[in-house]
Parts: sequence; structure tokens; C-alpha cells
Amino acid sequence: MGSTRTGGRGVVRWRALAATCAALVASPAVAACGSDSGMQINVYYAPEQNFQTVIDACNERANGRYEIVYRKLPRDADGQREQMVRRLAAGDTDLDILGLDVTWVPEFAEAEWLAEWTGENKSDAEAGVLEGPLETARWNDRLYAATKNTNVQLLWYDERVTPEPPETWREMIDMARQLKADGEPYEILFTAAQYEGLVVTYNTLVASAGGLILSEDGKSVVMDEGAIEALELLKEVASSGLTDPSLTNAQEQQVQQAFEAPDSNSAFELNWPYVYSAIQTANPERAAHLKWARYPGIDGPGKVTVGGYNLAVSAYSQHKPEAFEAALCLRSPDQQKFSAIKDGVPPTIESVYTDDRPLDPSKPEDAAENPSMATAYPMRETILESLQDAAVRPLTVVYQNLSTITSKVLSPPQDIDPRSTADELRDGLQKALESKGVLP
Amino acid sequence: MAVIGGSTTGRKVRWTIVDIAIVAYALIPVLWTLSLSFKTAESQTDKKFFPSEWTFQNYRDIFSTNEFVRALVNSIGIALIATLIAVVLGTMAAYAIARLDFPGKQVLVGVSLLIAMFPQVSLVSPLFEMERQLGIFDTWPGLILPYITFALPLAIYTLSAFFREIPWELEKAAKMDGATPAQAFRRVIAPLAAPGVFTTAILVFIFCWNDFLFAISLTSTEASRTVPAALSFFTGASQFEAPTGTISAAAVVITIPIIVFVLFFQRRIVAGLTSGAVKG
Amino acid sequence: MSQTLESEAPATPPPAKKGKPALSEGKKAERRLGLLLCAPAAIVMLAVTGWPIIYSVWLSLQRYDLRFPDQREFVGLDNYIAVLTDGYWWTAFGITTLITAVSVVIELVLGMLLALAMHRTLVGRGLIRTVSLIPYGIVTVVAAFSWFYAWNADTGYLADLFGAEAPLTQQIPSLLIIILAEVWKTTPFMALLLMAGLALVPDDLLKAASMDGATAWQRFTKVIVPVMKPAILVALLFRTLDAFRIFDNIFVLTKGANDTSSVSMQTYNNLIRGLNLGIGSTMSVLIFIAVAIIAFVFVKLFGAAAPGNDPGGKR
Repeated sequence: MGSTRTGGRGVVRWRALAATCAALVASPAVAACGSDSGMQINVYYAPEQNFQTVIDACNERANGRYEIVYRKLPRDADGQREQMVRRLAAGDTDLDILGLDVTWVPEFAEAEWLAEWTGENKSDAEAGVLEGPLETARWNDRLYAATKNTNVQLLWYDERVTPEPPETWREMIDMARQLKADGEPYEILFTAAQYEGLVVTYNTLVASAGGLILSEDGKSVVMDEGAIEALELLKEVASSGLTDPSLTNAQEQQVQQAFEAPDSNSAFELNWPYVYSAIQTANPERAAHLKWARYPGIDGPGKVTVGGYNLAVSAYSQHKPEAFEAALCLRSPDQQKFSAIKDGVPPTIESVYTDDRPLDPSKPEDAAENPSMATAYPMRETILESLQDAAVRPLTVVYQNLSTITSKVLSPPQDIDPRSTADELRDGLQKALESKGVLP
Repeated sequence: MAVIGGSTTGRKVRWTIVDIAIVAYALIPVLWTLSLSFKTAESQTDKKFFPSEWTFQNYRDIFSTNEFVRALVNSIGIALIATLIAVVLGTMAAYAIARLDFPGKQVLVGVSLLIAMFPQVSLVSPLFEMERQLGIFDTWPGLILPYITFALPLAIYTLSAFFREIPWELEKAAKMDGATPAQAFRRVIAPLAAPGVFTTAILVFIFCWNDFLFAISLTSTEASRTVPAALSFFTGASQFEAPTGTISAAAVVITIPIIVFVLFFQRRIVAGLTSGAVKG
Repeated sequence: MSQTLESEAPATPPPAKKGKPALSEGKKAERRLGLLLCAPAAIVMLAVTGWPIIYSVWLSLQRYDLRFPDQREFVGLDNYIAVLTDGYWWTAFGITTLITAVSVVIELVLGMLLALAMHRTLVGRGLIRTVSLIPYGIVTVVAAFSWFYAWNADTGYLADLFGAEAPLTQQIPSLLIIILAEVWKTTPFMALLLMAGLALVPDDLLKAASMDGATAWQRFTKVIVPVMKPAILVALLFRTLDAFRIFDNIFVLTKGANDTSSVSMQTYNNLIRGLNLGIGSTMSVLIFIAVAIIAFVFVKLFGAAAPGNDPGGKR
């Protein structure tokens, strides 16, 4: 122990020294301090448990020409965006590859912060990608990012509580009410805190009700009957007493943990597929009985909001060719398969869904040691099905404003008054589209 | 004269109870952070005030990441430099205000008071834009400059209050011996003023150490982000783990200097805070 | 920000002004030295605040959204109309006013009690002075995190105090916690300012009042408070202006969710998150005006002895 400790301390001291040195020069662009031999490609990306392994693999491929460094962004999407936006607004050359939520591409592209993908890079980035996710990487018919992973929320349930999943919200509410009366776990968990997750929930409900919030081109506000029906449903669920008491604090993580908890009182969880891998270690007992189905809708399965991440190259990057190359590696079919199996994030390349080779094709498949999509990602079919019938969030430069306003107006969901909330939303969104209004 | 009557022992007991209440008031939030910083990751959510299992893991974690170490270096460096400059400039100005007659003195006092009351957020937008254009956004000078500015009124007030207590006859004596005002300032007054300057330096340091709004608005990377700003960017070990423990450990680390100041210089800080406040 | 220079009257005795006609060499040298010594401080303060304020006003008259760099144009007072007719702005304004008023009143009461305790305690005077400096000195964000984790539904020892509902997700409980955090942090500072005033109350006066049969409460209201009035007003003025700027606590505790946003928080959101420099600057200017009004009210209506109110050096 003693020796490792000294080693650790040495590292700390060296780092402190390097930090002082760099900080004293006081310029983000200066690389003179502690000059590394090779070129660094900085990837700013959300925390993803095994993403470092992906980076390591790509570094090996780069063979010393450059080193990809994982710069972890905050966990919440707003924090991620805020940090990148602020650096880009200041023209920071340290950013090479940006991990962008699917809703940010238009904004970043319009602000001229992204390098366009052209030529061979472009065709590589588009090859075999599902149309829905690819759409999120484009703006004004140009490609500004390579899709890394897509995402759709599914309904997760415990087969011991409900052998058959509900297909619609109506069924789910009735089942939950019955379960509550029977003294069984009954809660319906979904994201409803005042943040993007509430917008995702609402957008799914609106799309499932066949409604529209914005016009197809994203330029004007519609807020039709479907949108109002979704408001009614959201209010009904939130005030039904069938949700977690801290519903208005529920982000993905709270939802996931509430379902995983040993004494969980929940029957249904609406969340991204990453929860499948997370629950395996957090609550193996419940994991054994975890089942999934398509997100419930109004008359049938729901039309879910597409999430996910795209990788873009910063317009201020000093190493664009290498950054494009590295980004392509990080989202290559093999790495997408790895991320799906290890971190539960759905691939954007269609062929990965049917790839039945284990992680290490040279060795025999083994659920624990050498898993394949079939053993570790059994919900792949459901995901593909959902993706083929999904709702894309409006592609618009001011998405952030729309999202901020929407989550503000809808919070807390139990206080929604469908008609007046719809008016408020219509008014707020119109101003937000023009980017003239005030953000709450 | 006693506000609370009764026998001496009775009063002592009552005062002791009051004292205990005050100590509890001041320390409970600090102890809670301390406790969180020693909790293991699994017991973070047990909602108990004291840790059931103790660990140093959170401290090991923060000191093994560049994120925190660098922010700490930034915090210390930026606060020290800003304090130094603010105290030097403040001393010069306070001396002039306390001792010399010159035009524009009232204006200076008025302006610095305005700044002391100024809503800092009003400056964030123009400073953000200006620093971007000047290329000092997200650099040490980019933070040091606003810190000096907002620390200067504090420094000037505290110092001029101290300076008025100094026996200025000594200066006169020095002048009679043929010293110029500048010499008198340097040789006679400066040494006498040292304790006041020191106290002011502590107050200014605390002020700079404390800032959050500028730190979060005018920085964007590890190059200049200070600990208060870095705290809110901490990520957990994975996306499934909240950074409660590491945030608390970092919070404890940046509270240490404050505790040291308070323990060793309580009298000075109290004197500094009250001296300028109500005279005359 | 925590100091008041009550008055520089002692240093500028009126007679000095009388000798205007003929300035001696010494006087001239003194003036030069005075200007020279003040110049650096004045220049820094003006450069970092004066110019940005003007720039801020200029930005507030433009449509300037960093995401639409091509659409930058002069729009006159459009931004002011947009902000002043906006419900969110007035909600934030109301919340800020509420937090300010409630926390300052509580701080005054608690601060007075703490000041009396620090001034009069028979036991452990050094101890309580030392510990009360901790809230004053501690980094606001650190204290805010402490309160955040204390009330957070997942981690907090206080979270279940008022039932199972997560307190930081509802408006009223959130506001109460924000006020608690604010009061905890700044009461000691208030107490120190008040203690300085308390030291000015002559013991003889209290003794005399006591002999005349005045009760403790009467002594407090009839003797102590009138003598302390200037100190109280200064403390109130400083804390009110300070509380109106509240940002750190809200940022950490709620991020402004569920209608708990303050004007500073909202400005930050529009500016840094929304990248709308026009609207952000407009809010900055409006906050500045609001603060100026608060200061004016204190000085004119209550006669607070703010050091800035004597440009003529009359005091």
C-alpha cells in the first residue's frame, strides 16, 4: 500500500505543478507547459461508464499519431450544453470533438461552431445509419455530426407484479390503481422534474395523441387538440396519487433508482434502455424479473421521443482531420455494439442490431464473459420497432428556449390547467421561436 | 445594567445555554458537510447525520483528479493575487482619504460606495462580452480584475477606518525633521498601519475566496475555474452515482482556510468588520 | 461591501476648505500626492465597472443573440418592453423582493439577539464570537450545498422533517430553505455591525434608566434602539442591497426551478444559458435601477447614514 501511495502523491504533485504552470501562463491555447509529445484530441462528452474503454480502443487504432482524451461533462444535459456553449462562445480551441444531444445540432451549426462533414468522412458517417437518428445530425441539408447513439424510452415492468404490460396510458393507470388497492407495488415512474426530461415525456404524449406542438417545419406554434389532450393526461397522472411522491424531482436517475430500490413501491418505469444494464448490479433480484415493452400510447403503443448523442467537430479545433477520424472511430459499428452491450445505449447503425457475434468474435459467446447483442441487449427488437415509429423533437435553432419554456410552463404537472396552460405555452413558445422573449 | 436578571450562577448557566445554542447554530451545517465527506458512497443516502462507516475515499478521489487540484490552485492563486493588488491600491487610496486634502475625494468615496452596493450580475453581461473580445475570458486576469474592483471598496473603508486611529503626530514629527509626505508615509506610517493592512487582507481574501457569480460566468475551463464554480460541475464516478461525497470533501477543503483565519484572527476580523461600520 | 465609512469628516475638517485662495506649496504637494495615491484604485474601479455599465446600456438597446450573430441590430427600447411586459420577470422580481424582505427582517431580529449575546455574555465571549464568524466566512456555495444535501430527498437528515414530500421540489418549502440558508449565512455579519452600535450605548444611561424603574424591554426600546438607530439603518441598508442580489444559494438549491428564480438568477439564465446578450443586459440595467431605488429610499425616507449621501461633505 505504501508504495502505491507515494506514487499517487507524486502524480498529484506533478498534476498540481502542471496545473500551476498552465494556469500561470493563463491562456487556454498555450500548450508550451509540460509539453506532451503527441497531439491531443479532446472529446467533451457526457459521463458514460465505459466510454473510456471505447477511447482506449480508438487510441490503439491511432497508433500514437494522436491521443484522444475524455473530458467528462456534467451529468445533466443543461449543464453539458451550458459548458460547451460558453467555451465555444469564447472561441476556445481546446475543444475538438463535442458530444451533442440530438436537439443541439441546429443551434450549434447556426452559430457557426461546428465543422461540416464532407467527402469521405461524410459518407462514412452516413453509412448504414437509421434515418431518424441521421436526421438529427443534419441542418440545412448539410451534415454537422456523426450519430453516436440513439435512444428511445421503453416501459419497464416487473413480471411478478404485472405479467402482461399495459399498452396504453389508460390501461396503465387502471392497472396501477388496482395494484394500489391490492397493496402491491403500483407507482408509475417517469421523468417530470422541471428540465428537458419533462419535455421528452410531454413530447411523447403529444405525438402519441397524434398532436403537434410546432408545425412540421418548426417555424410556428400549433398546439392542437392532441397537445391539449396530452396536457390533460399529464395532469391526471400527476395528480392521481399513482406516482412517486417526489415526481417533480424525478430525473432519469431518480426514476431509475426508485425502480431499483430493494423496497421499491413501483410497478412501471418509463426510461431509457441504460436502466437494463444498471439494474443488473444494483438489484439483481428484480433484474431477473425485469421485462420491457413499447412505451404506452393513447390508442396503442406510443410514439416515443428520440434521444441520443451525436459527435461533432468544433469549428475552432486545431486538429480537424484527426478529430474527424477519431470521431468516426468512437462511433464505428464495433464501438456502438460495445456501448450498447456495456452501457445500454442503442446503436444508430442498423446492422449492429442484427450483429450476433460476441464482443470478442475470436472467442465463444458467454453471457458473462463475452456477451453479444443477443445476450446483453435483448430489448433490441423493441427498440428498433419503437424507432421505426418514433417522434423526432422539432429541429430548430432555439430548441433550448423552447425546452426551457415548456418545462417551466408544465411544472409542476399536477397544477396543469389544460386550456390555460396550453395558452400560456402557445404564447411562450411563439416568443421563444423568435428568441425575443425572456427565459424563465 | 443586566439584561437578564438573577443570581450570578443562574445567569452563567443561562448564558452557557445561549452559548451552546449559538455554537450549534454556527456549526451544524459545517459538521454536516464534514460528515457527508466521510460517508462511503453506499451510505450517502442513509439520511443519517453521522457516518456509520468512515472513509477517506472522497478526499483521495478529489485529490486524484485534475478537476479539483487545478481549481484549488486557481482559487488560491487568484485570491492571493487579487488580495495583494487590492490591498496595495486600497492602502494608497485609504491613506489619501484619511489624511490628505485633495479635490475629488468625496467623489471617490461615493463611487466606491456605489460599487460596494452594485449588483454584480449587472456586470456579468458586459464583462462576459468584453473579456471575450479582449481574450481574457477564462483566464486568471479575467477574474482577478473584477475581484480587485469589488474588493477595493471593502479595502478602502476598512483601511481608512484603521488609519484614522493611527497617531499622526508621529508623521508630523517626521515631516518636521524634513521628510516629504511620501517619505513620512513610507517610513513612519506604513509600519504602524501594518496590523490594519493585515486585517484588511484577510477580509479581502475571504471575499475573493467566496465569489461564485463571476467565477461561474467568466470561466469555462480548468484554466481558471475556481473551486466554488468547480463544485457545481463535479460529476460522479459514473452516470449512476451522485457526486455528493466528492463535493462535500472539496467543500471541506476550501473551508479550512476560513476556519484557520477565524481561529487565529478572530479579534482582528471582528475589529475589521466593526471598525468602519459605526463611527461618529 | 461589508464596510461603511461612516464619514470622513474627522479627516477633512471644514477649516481646510476656507483657505482656498492661496494654496501653499505644501498644500499643492498634498493634493498631488492625494490624487496620485487614489488614481490607481479609481482607474481600476472605473475601468471594470464604469465602462461595462455604459456598455451594458448600449447592449440593452440591441437585439443581440449569440446564436444569431447576423441579426444584431439596434432596437431601441424593445428589450425593455419585452422584459417589463413579461410575466417571468415580474415573478422573479416578486420572489426576489419577498426573499429580501423576509430574510432581512429575520436577520435583524436574530442579529440583534446575537449582538446582545456577544456583547453581554458572561461566559465564552471569545468562543461565540469565533464560531459566529464561521457562517460569515464560509463560502456561500459550500453552505448552500450543505443545506441542499440536508434537505435533498435522497441524502438529507432534514428531508423527512415535514412529511414525505421532497421539500426542494415545491415552491414554498424551497423559498423557506433559501431564506434559511441566507439568514444562517448573514446573521453573524448583521450581528457584528449591530454590536459595533451596541458598544456606543453608554452604560451610565442604562444604569440611570434601570434606577428609574425601566424594565429590560423599556431599556431596550427607549435607550438602546435610539442610540443604535444609525447602526441599525446602515446594517439594514447593506443587507437589503446584498440580499436583493441573491444568486449563489438559489443556484445551488433549486437552480430557479418551481418559481424560485431571483432576478440575478434569471439574468444569468438569459445571458449565459440563452446567450441573449440584449435581454440579459436589459435585465442587468433594470436590477441596477432597482438597487439604486432601494438605496435612495433608505437614505431619503429613513435617513440612513449612508456614507455616500454627503457629497458636499456636510456631515
